[in-house]
Amino acid sequence: MKSSSLNPIIVKELRERFRSKKTVWTLALFLLIMGGIPLGFLIVNPIKAGSLGQNKDLFVISAALHYAMICFVAPALTAGAVSGERERQTLNILLTTQLSPRTIIWSKLFTSLAFTSLLVIASMPLYSIVMLYGSVSPEQLLTLALFFGVNIMFLGSLGLFCSTWIKRTAVSTIIAYGIAFFFVVVTGLLFLFLGEILIQLTPDRSLQQEVWGRPELQYLAGINPVIVLFAILGETVLPTIRFDFTPWLFFSCFYLVLSILLVLWSAYLLRPIRRKWWSWKK
Amino acid sequence: MIETIHLSKSYGKVQALIDLQLRIEQGKVFGFIGPNGAGKSTTMMILSTLLEPTEGEAFVCGYDVRKEPAEVRQSLGYMPDFFGVYDNLTAVEYLDFYAGAFKIAPHKRSSLIADLLELVNLSDKAEAYVDSLSRGMQQRLSLARCLIHDPQVLILDEPASGLDPRARIELREILKQLRCMGKTILISSHILPELAELCDDIGIIEKGRLIACGGLDEVSIRARGVTLMMVKTLRNHHRAALILAENMFVEDLEENMDGFRFRFIGSDHQKAELLQKLIEAEVAVSYFGESSENLEAVFLAITEGVAGR
Ligand SMILES: Nc1ncnc2c1ncn2[C@@H]1O[C@H](COP(=O)(O)OP(=O)(O)OP(=O)(O)O)[C@@H](O)[C@H]1O
Ligand SMILES: [Mg+2]
Repeated sequence: MKSSSLNPIIVKELRERFRSKKTVWTLALFLLIMGGIPLGFLIVNPIKAGSLGQNKDLFVISAALHYAMICFVAPALTAGAVSGERERQTLNILLTTQLSPRTIIWSKLFTSLAFTSLLVIASMPLYSIVMLYGSVSPEQLLTLALFFGVNIMFLGSLGLFCSTWIKRTAVSTIIAYGIAFFFVVVTGLLFLFLGEILIQLTPDRSLQQEVWGRPELQYLAGINPVIVLFAILGETVLPTIRFDFTPWLFFSCFYLVLSILLVLWSAYLLRPIRRKWWSWKK
Repeated sequence: MIETIHLSKSYGKVQALIDLQLRIEQGKVFGFIGPNGAGKSTTMMILSTLLEPTEGEAFVCGYDVRKEPAEVRQSLGYMPDFFGVYDNLTAVEYLDFYAGAFKIAPHKRSSLIADLLELVNLSDKAEAYVDSLSRGMQQRLSLARCLIHDPQVLILDEPASGLDPRARIELREILKQLRCMGKTILISSHILPELAELCDDIGIIEKGRLIACGGLDEVSIRARGVTLMMVKTLRNHHRAALILAENMFVEDLEENMDGFRFRFIGSDHQKAELLQKLIEAEVAVSYFGESSENLEAVFLAITEGVAGR
């Protein structure tokens, strides 16, 4: 056995994770779902020489499926990171070592991200099937990868935050999914409803389509992952939104900042003795 | 080494610790005794920088637990009353993880870990998975874990709970070895006799207050002349009951199948007289001595005796 000078939590987490059978099953199941659906599509729509490079459906389906899987896996992987230690009664010991809460949080996040990324990378070859159909540009693929990366990061830190904040893993997982649901679905619905209400309030018919270009609505659309995903894929959703900014760039910045805030907040919550802002007076 | 000044802790309305004044010198083994909910774990968690005191100050090796937590953590090893181990790690990897957590250089670790496993008699289990070890082995492994950064102070919260008598004796031997190494040890327990042999000083805590503190004989029950006694008789049970009930030093007389249990508040001399009387009355005494089976009762007698002072 080699002792390493790497961060001890990362070493330990990787050891624990890759020695458990659950990990193998998760990976297998993930690949089965990710591979099965494009394969089914391939059987239903056999490749015809004439239509090569024109069918984008498979790309859209694969990307949407990938995104759904990330939403499903990423929060669950981190939602037990801290509460699991608490439930196993190892957290207190960990906190009496020289590891600072911030190191603990970052390393936990890092290992979960590493595993989710492994899932994504392991399923990347499936995109080669997508490539057969063509009509996807390399830039689109790269942006898509970045989009997935940002989502993994955000959902991971969200799960981690819930895990630090709430004592029980089961509850923290549910809450993490709940908050993720808010960002993924509720912001989209909010966007649609607000847009519709504003249209109803606009008496002038010729101006009605202008509503979708209002900055508030643009920002709201920019933080909804589903709308941004479709924007990246070049597909149009119901109302046509004209973005004055690059949606994926805005999206990435917004969620990266949010992730960093969540991570810092988690580290603060994990501190056994919290230095309050007024404590310098004492 | 360890010092607390007017230390108090309340959880909402519950006052878990009230104005605790404690001072433990270097190299001493201090036994912390008290019933459930007395505040032992609370004190230990405050000293280990896991809880913030509501009032007062606490120092470990001269470092303030509130202001210099990193230094405090470096100088103490804490073993909680309940703790878990990680799955899928071997004993060596488990210790290696904590060695890493204390930033011990990788090339020093393997010999250090081997030494520690030797100390706690787990060398043959080095490659076993920690979750497959028995409770007693896990307890010893955890003790090795406390020692990984060679702390000066050890804080052990009920290290003997859940252990069988043999494991307790083994643990005590290890602790004696640690005492010889010059560590300052704070150890808690419900049971006085368990600590009696090991500790230099003991402190008795009840409902958050330190009610007695000092050397063992100062605090112990014998100095105060209160003992929980047990008498077993074969014949003339009723005559014995009469004699015991009449004796002015006998309190709380309890009668059971083959004998009696009571609190004796007299001296050894008066104890001998009582036995004499029983024998003169032709009671067949098969046992006459301190009750050993019910340590909780002994413990209760101690705390009552001290509190009523
Ligand atoms: N997290 C908590 N929230 C509220 N009250 C608590 C908490 N932890 C402890 N207490 C209270 O503080 C008091 C002291 O508890 P503590 O755990 O220190 O006792 P103890 O001496 O270690 O007891 P035991 O022998 O059972 O381990 C108890 O009355 C308990 O109810
Ligand atoms: Mg306790």
